[in-house]
Amino acid sequence: MEKELIASITKLVIEKLNQEQPPKEPEVALWSASPKNPAPVEATEQNLERIELKPVRQEAIQRKEQKTHQSRTCSDSLKLEKKEQQLEELRQKTPSRIAVGRAGSRPKTNTWLQFRYDHAAAVDAVYGEVSADVLENLGVFTVHTRVEDKEEYIRRPDRGRQLSDESRKIIKDRCQNSPTVQVVISNGLSAKAVEANIEDVYLSLQQSLNNLKIDMGTTFYVDKGRVALMDEIGEILTPDVVIMLIGERPGLVSAESLSAYMCYKPRKGVIEADRMVVSNIHKGGIPPVEAGAYLGTIVQKILKYQASGVSLVQKES
Amino acid sequence: MKSLASRVETLLSAGIDIGTSTTKLVISRFSLMNLAGGTHVPRIEIIDKEILYRSPIFRTPLLSATTIDMIAVDDIVKSEYEKAGVTSDQIQTGAVIITGETATKQNAEEMVHHLSEHAGGFLVAAAGPDLEGIIAAKGSGAYGYSKKTGKSVANVDIGGGTANIAVYQDGRLTGTCTLHVGGRLIEFEDEQIKSISPPVEKLIRQEGWTVQIGDSKYHPDVQKITRRMATVMANVLSKSMTMEDEVLLLGHPPQWSGDVDVIVFSGGVSECIYQLEEENASLAVYDDIGIELASALRREPGLQHYEWKKPNETVRATVLGAGTQTTNISGATIQVESSQLPQKNLPVVEVSFEYETAVGLAKLQSSVEEAIAIYDPGGEGQNFVLYLTDIPYLKFRDIQSIAKKLIACRRLKPDPLQPFIIVLQSDHAKVLGQTLQALEPEQSILCIDQIDIEQGGYMDIGQVLQSGVVPVVIKTLTFHS
Repeated sequence: MEKELIASITKLVIEKLNQEQPPKEPEVALWSASPKNPAPVEATEQNLERIELKPVRQEAIQRKEQKTHQSRTCSDSLKLEKKEQQLEELRQKTPSRIAVGRAGSRPKTNTWLQFRYDHAAAVDAVYGEVSADVLENLGVFTVHTRVEDKEEYIRRPDRGRQLSDESRKIIKDRCQNSPTVQVVISNGLSAKAVEANIEDVYLSLQQSLNNLKIDMGTTFYVDKGRVALMDEIGEILTPDVVIMLIGERPGLVSAESLSAYMCYKPRKGVIEADRMVVSNIHKGGIPPVEAGAYLGTIVQKILKYQASGVSLVQKES
Repeated sequence: MKSLASRVETLLSAGIDIGTSTTKLVISRFSLMNLAGGTHVPRIEIIDKEILYRSPIFRTPLLSATTIDMIAVDDIVKSEYEKAGVTSDQIQTGAVIITGETATKQNAEEMVHHLSEHAGGFLVAAAGPDLEGIIAAKGSGAYGYSKKTGKSVANVDIGGGTANIAVYQDGRLTGTCTLHVGGRLIEFEDEQIKSISPPVEKLIRQEGWTVQIGDSKYHPDVQKITRRMATVMANVLSKSMTMEDEVLLLGHPPQWSGDVDVIVFSGGVSECIYQLEEENASLAVYDDIGIELASALRREPGLQHYEWKKPNETVRATVLGAGTQTTNISGATIQVESSQLPQKNLPVVEVSFEYETAVGLAKLQSSVEEAIAIYDPGGEGQNFVLYLTDIPYLKFRDIQSIAKKLIACRRLKPDPLQPFIIVLQSDHAKVLGQTLQALEPEQSILCIDQIDIEQGGYMDIGQVLQSGVVPVVIKTLTFHS
């Protein structure tokens, strides 16, 4: 979405709101299909008053409405109610913005604001940082890639795939060498994803590996990392399996979706087909606690077949 | 996982319906596949149901008015399996249901459990008028039609002994009702009335009619009775039952909300309405009021304003429903031990969390205590399923506190060593199962999820399939009298 376009449309909407007073006379409900339940994202603007925009030919239509109003029977309103019920059921089936109604040729104010809110949340997720408390609670230390700031992170993916010289030294010193499983956490493109889900995924994964008696190395956090960073970590620490818990590129449905990338003995030059992923870990997707428990069984399988990704599929069948 | 994406697993299912007048059987094959994308947690679903064999319609063999001829039923099943080319140990799922008045016979319970044990590896015993209605609605296509159109569809399954109504709106069950309306409630022999069932006797007394056993089958009261049955049916469907109608009611009055838009008739009597089966010449052999009842229903003024929809199946609706619509598939991430499966005839104890962990935690202990008091008062070790519903979003710490509470609850059971069976509505079985295991590694736990219980108080859980899921059948076991 272009910034200027958003800005100009917002301006238009606000101007319109300032100009027009909501009609005071008892109004005929022209647009009855207003969504009772906007998109299932934690909306913060519930206190906002719903503002109805006046259609251009309101008066003319109103007169016409009044004429036909008396002839309307209650079966009409029943039909409307039933229709609304059916639309509501459709809305429940998808997080997409369907059956939200319209004002003329444009979306309604609430729909538009919701869209703007979700877009802003996505931007925030990319530019945000994981708070120190979250990482402290998990007891992990932080290392860095060769990326300096967010702008560079976005422009130079290659630098996000390499550890800084200092960080290489730190993990060599502080981490257990050659563990069975090495877990790496990174904010990636959504700091929010890590903040919201990491505790549950991590604790549940830890328990799952414990139950399966699979040994886990020293977990650490990489600021501004990319998935393929696991190759370098694989070379330094030589684990059997690397699990990388990383924030996904945010979308308009959820800005806090986490992915778990896994690879058997990652090294420089590993092909992408040997990586595998469980994605969509968030409140509205795979429950984080359940995802952690499931990851344990995947690791078990990777170890059994000594392969991951497409190679695992081939060995399995 | 990806590896499962292209794999299709098949499963043989049997359905056996032992009804008031007729007994029939179907064999079908389900195909299961992972429908989730490669990067998602697997979601195994039934993608295809193919009917391999339909048996002819047999008369239900009886030894006397109150006992089923179990050996004869066994023989029917055996010979039909042979004709279908299957053996009982190949049957991995399905249901044997005893319906209508047959469920009132002395050995009804023994009969279904016997068949469930011997006619398949995992064949579920089921009985109960509400369940009959639900299964018939699924077999007749009424359920599918409501889902497709969003309309409120009432399926009326009229067999020999009872009429079982199930109302679906947009694929959701909104209510059920059962009536003493059926073809075999008055039987004829040599142009005379041979028998009148007790509920109809009551109706005759209530109305002051005079017809009795030995009268001619053309006695005018017979027509009055069938017409009356049709009127009661209309009153029930419009939820305007009168006191006088209640004589034909079996169990609870209609409880669905909203109006019915469409009616579908299934069952033996519906065959007389629609005549869909080919060999309809044999209808008269039943020699009862079935045909009269069908024509009374067709002419009943109170039923005319509904949309009448033809069923996909008439007399076989229930058996098809039992064979193809009773099996549910659990979530793919579950914690089970195959040595503890299958588990059969477990009563279900529901604990609703009401979307608050604290509420659920507070309820758990008393629910388990109550369940033990109801299902295992003598401490004989009758196991049950703990069904946790309306679970809120759970953090790992919540899972741990729930698991701890569950372990405390398990100690309340008379036999704490028997498998602890937990079924969840939401996708949390793996983590809860693993947490329980971490806390008490030596105990056996069955923890499965993504099961929605629409209706029914009993559950059977089958053996783990290759895809890592288990078949689950939810049912009732009510032998009304």
